[in-house]
Amino acid sequence: MDQYLFIKLSVGVFFTIGLYSVLYKENKFYRFCEHIFLGLAAGYSLVAIWTSILYDQWWLKMTGVPAEGTSKMVPGYFMYAVLLPIGLCGYMVMSKKHNWMSKIPIGVILGLWSGQQVKNWWTQYGAQIYGSMQPVIPTTWSSLSRPALYTFNEAGAKVPLSPDAAAVIRSNIYATQALSNFIFVVTLVTALSYFLFNFELKGKFLRSFNTVGRWLLMVGFGALFGSTVMARFALVIDRMSFIWNEWLKLGR
Amino acid sequence: MNAAFWDKLQKVDRRVLYVVLVVLTSIGLFLKAEIPVAVDDSSADFYAKLMKIDPNKPVVVQTDWTISTRGENMAHLECLLRILMTRKIKFVYYSATSDAPAFQVATDVIRHINEERKAMNLKVYERGTDYIGLGLFPNAEGANESMRNDIKKAWGGRRVRMPDGNETDIFQTPVLKGVNSMGDFGLMVVVTASDTIDFAVQRLNDKVELTGMATGVIAPGMLPYYQARQLKGFAGGLKGCYDMEYMMKHGINHPEEGGKIYVNAGKIVGEVPPLGSGKDLARATQYYADLHIALSLLIFAVVVGNVAMFAQKKAKKGAE
Repeated sequence: MDQYLFIKLSVGVFFTIGLYSVLYKENKFYRFCEHIFLGLAAGYSLVAIWTSILYDQWWLKMTGVPAEGTSKMVPGYFMYAVLLPIGLCGYMVMSKKHNWMSKIPIGVILGLWSGQQVKNWWTQYGAQIYGSMQPVIPTTWSSLSRPALYTFNEAGAKVPLSPDAAAVIRSNIYATQALSNFIFVVTLVTALSYFLFNFELKGKFLRSFNTVGRWLLMVGFGALFGSTVMARFALVIDRMSFIWNEWLKLGR
Repeated sequence: MNAAFWDKLQKVDRRVLYVVLVVLTSIGLFLKAEIPVAVDDSSADFYAKLMKIDPNKPVVVQTDWTISTRGENMAHLECLLRILMTRKIKFVYYSATSDAPAFQVATDVIRHINEERKAMNLKVYERGTDYIGLGLFPNAEGANESMRNDIKKAWGGRRVRMPDGNETDIFQTPVLKGVNSMGDFGLMVVVTASDTIDFAVQRLNDKVELTGMATGVIAPGMLPYYQARQLKGFAGGLKGCYDMEYMMKHGINHPEEGGKIYVNAGKIVGEVPPLGSGKDLARATQYYADLHIALSLLIFAVVVGNVAMFAQKKAKKGAE
């Protein structure tokens, strides 16, 4: 078993080095690894389509499952057979004469999808619209920032405040919260205003408003890009870990 | 320094930088430093949620990633499984993505965590009695929609081979017994490298408490969901996963020897204990230290490149 694992990992390392060799320059070793990878992915997907998808989610539902052990028999539902010709119609897109048939499965999918969208849109964005209505005026000046919801006992351990005291703190808007909310609201409104293309924004104020939105969008894109760079580095680090920790068993 | 030096610096072959990156990240893997960190609110909420959910309710894990994002997502899933297994929470997992190997990759991670627990003399999770794998669903929208409508129909007819060798209907197993709808699950966690989290929010966030673990590319898009409380917490990228491992070791608002509190999350009321047994600091801790080295190299290269460009311009102007 250990020998099998070593061979498996060695093949992984061979292809890792092969795929990274393109960083030096385009070469045949890289192309070889790339083609093997693509071939494997296509072959694996083909098998998985049957074993993990069609068999479980279509074939068994159509033919039923016999009783076994404590499990009762599950009757088949032969209407599932209708799905096969409908799905196969999709391939008629290749035929000049019969390509109208490919529109049947596309129509079914589009119909189902469109019907769900109203509800989905609201479930996805409704809470966000509600959450964007943030108060920008402080309701108390007793403290600039929101006090902690705990205190310390004599031993120095944290003790939560009484529910009433915590509720009072939670119900108030403190100055720093109001400032933070204000920045949020300005960012939201200016960024949205950038996408108003239906009419020309006239006047210095409106144009500046629009420019602020553009700059804030750029700040957002910068943060997104930074996060993406970190993600990419994590992939390189993992490949190094694969070689050093898992294959060579060093530094574990 | 003269223009020739800056010129030379500007023309350093990119492959030299690649070699330096490989050498430095390789060295970094051997350091394994526990870096003090201010955990994100989203990670703290996620950890607190995982540590507080009812252990008698199963958790749904949707795992939509493959080897291409192993650096982040494998650390995420390992971390999640360690918490679930230590807290003895049963779970059901499946993949809802068109990436065919996703389910197999997750199955391999479960096996690997089980081997780790066996080596530490901890309880090993058994398929059928402690967890169930449902396989691959190629369309996340369709899978989540049918789960929302009727979980018994969405997963109906499936059986699992129990430890005694018999096949049993999944709804008769100790994992899913008593589950009739999504609301019967304690929590749903989406471990993803793509937009499948959007579909889960659209279809399921009003049916079950939803959380997520995503790559650094996807994580910024999860923030609006978290702020609108559609996600009850999430771990974003390697940082989010390191946060989780750090809290698994130190807890939240939890005083250790000498009364020192490592994670002081004011937003979380009360104390959340550390994991207690099993591995806590693991893959993300190792990679997070290494990430600092890689990012330092990046910043160094950007600064040197810019300084060289300006110095070169200045030297050329001086020469004219």
